[in-house]
This record gives sequence, C-alpha cells and structure tokens, in this order.
Amino acid sequence: MKRALTIVLLIVLAAVLLNAVAALPPHGSPDTPAYTHVGAYYLEHGPEETGSENVVTSVILNYRGFDTNGEVTVIVTALMAVIAVLTGVRDAGNRPDTDATHVEPSVVVRFIVRVLAPFILVFAVYVILNGHVTPGGGFQGGTMLGALVIALTLVLGERESAKLIPQRPIRIIQVIAPLTFVAVGLAGLIAWGDFLSFPRDEQLRPVAEAMLVLIEAGIGIGGAVVFARVFRLMGGRS
Amino acid sequence: MIDLLWNNLDYAASMILFCIGLYAVITRNNLIKKFMGLNIMETAIFAFIVALGVVDGGNAPIMGEGAAEPFINPLPQALILTGIVVAVSTTALALSLVIRIWRQCGTIEADELREAE
Repeated sequence: MKRALTIVLLIVLAAVLLNAVAALPPHGSPDTPAYTHVGAYYLEHGPEETGSENVVTSVILNYRGFDTNGEVTVIVTALMAVIAVLTGVRDAGNRPDTDATHVEPSVVVRFIVRVLAPFILVFAVYVILNGHVTPGGGFQGGTMLGALVIALTLVLGERESAKLIPQRPIRIIQVIAPLTFVAVGLAGLIAWGDFLSFPRDEQLRPVAEAMLVLIEAGIGIGGAVVFARVFRLMGGRS
Repeated sequence: MIDLLWNNLDYAASMILFCIGLYAVITRNNLIKKFMGLNIMETAIFAFIVALGVVDGGNAPIMGEGAAEPFINPLPQALILTGIVVAVSTTALALSLVIRIWRQCGTIEADELREAE
C-alpha cells in the first residue's frame, strides 16, 4: 500500500519535473541565460583579474572567496559535530567487537596499497599545488590525501595507523583550512583594503598566485585530516 | 514534448535519478539506505546543474597556451564543488548519528526504532 502510494506520488513528481525540464533551453547551446551573463564575464576577465589560469579556481577562491571560506568552515564544523556525537558520552555499549569482526587484509591488498601509497601522495600534492593552472585544487587533492590515509589505516593495523595522525599537532592541523583562509583574507584586508582581496596589477601577479597556492595547500591538508579523522572516529578509534 | 525532452536528455536523466533517490528515502527502512537515497538525490542535482553549464564542443575553462573557445561555463562547476563538500559534511554527520543510534538502541531499522520508543 505504502509502496504503491509512493510510486504514484513519484510518477506525478517526475511528470512535473520532466515538464519543467523540457521547457529549458536546449542542452549545450551557447546562448542560454546561464552562459551569457556572469559566466561569460568570468571567462573573459578571470585570468588577468585573479592570477589563476583555471577559471573554476578563480571563481572559487577569488570571485566567490567568501562562499568558499564558509564552506571550509562547514567541513570543520561537521568534524566537530562528529566528535561530539561519537566520543565522550556513555552509551548502551553496542560497540563493534573488533576482535571478532577484524579480518586481516589479504597480502595482495596490503602489498598494492603500500606500493601505491607514495605515488598517490605525490599525485595528491601535485593536484593541490597546481589547482590554479590545471584541473584540481585543494578539495580534490585533499580528498585523495584523505583516501590515502584511510587506505593505509585499513591495511596497517591499529598501532601503526595511529602514527599516521599524530595526536598533538592534529588539533591545529584539523582547523588549518579556515585558519589559512582567514589569514590570507586578512592579508588582503591589510594590504589592499578588502577582506580576501587579491592584487590585480600585472607586477604583483606572483603574489596573487602565491596566495592562491597557500589557500589551496591549507584546504588540501585540512580537508585530508578531516576526512581521515572522521573515518577513524567512525571506526571507534581516536 | 518528447522532442524537447530528447534535446534535454541530460536534464531528464537527472530528474529520473532524483526520483529514484526519493523512492529510496521513502520506502527503505534501514537508515543507512535512506541516507544513500539522499546522496543519490544530491548527485542528481549536482549532475543537473553541471549539465546546465555544458556547451557543445566546449573546452575546460582553463586559459593559457592552446586554450580555444568556446569554454564551458565555470560557474556551475564552482558552485557544485561547494555543494559536494557540504554534501560530504552532512553525510559524515548523518552516518555518525546512525552509529550512535546503533550503539544506543542496537538497531538502525526505522520501524524497530519506532516500536522501541
């Protein structure tokens, strides 16, 4: 009964949505409103105004820097919420029985992860640091770094993997993304009069690029640590 | 109508995907499966908005040597990057709440939880 009702409801919803979608301008046409106003401006002026050849990066970190600043704060807030939910409170004690469910990863998995780890690391750092000239950036590279730490956590065992996230510096590193963002923003405020303002002169272009790389590095490291930490917390580790 | 939909097939696929996700959210009993449905809905919206920025024969919006017009609209991609990060954050929080519910109640089936109240 409930299922039939749901299907009827969804068919009605799908009909409404498809009707609306059919009325949109044809897919891929270059003269839609979405393409001809703001996007066109960014494409035309992005590279010389922001010092970033990758226009997506210039939108994320420069034109809409405030937005991204809020976004990195969201990740850190999510980490704080996960910590608050999963640690420090007494509960009924349905903890996963680690001894019973723990299966040693096979030799193949361990070997492959160990062999690939340095290459993944190098590629992640490349993606983070080249976000302003090639596809990529802090979030993408940070996800790779986080995935690397997660993969190593799975194969290395409890004691070895705990060393991947050193206890004391982690308290600073996990909030480093918003911190670098605000620091670069304040530098812009002091030097050019606006929060998160970047220099537009041609001579100062290396400075703008350095600021972009700094923010990307902060986001990459901070994001990676947040992902890895959330994973470890969900596994009942610290 | 069908012709127009055929032109906008990418958008139509996103809408169907959205409905599939909503179906999972409504009918599944397991909380993790509900959140999977929610993620499918999010993905559908992301795909829809990114598809809005596509231009026929367009290149990636990266200037520099060898870059040629037309470029794909960079704005939807930038906005969706933000959206993906927020989706990851909400999913992390949702899953940690599920873990907490399981530790507290020993089940994550919605109907069993309702009975236990």
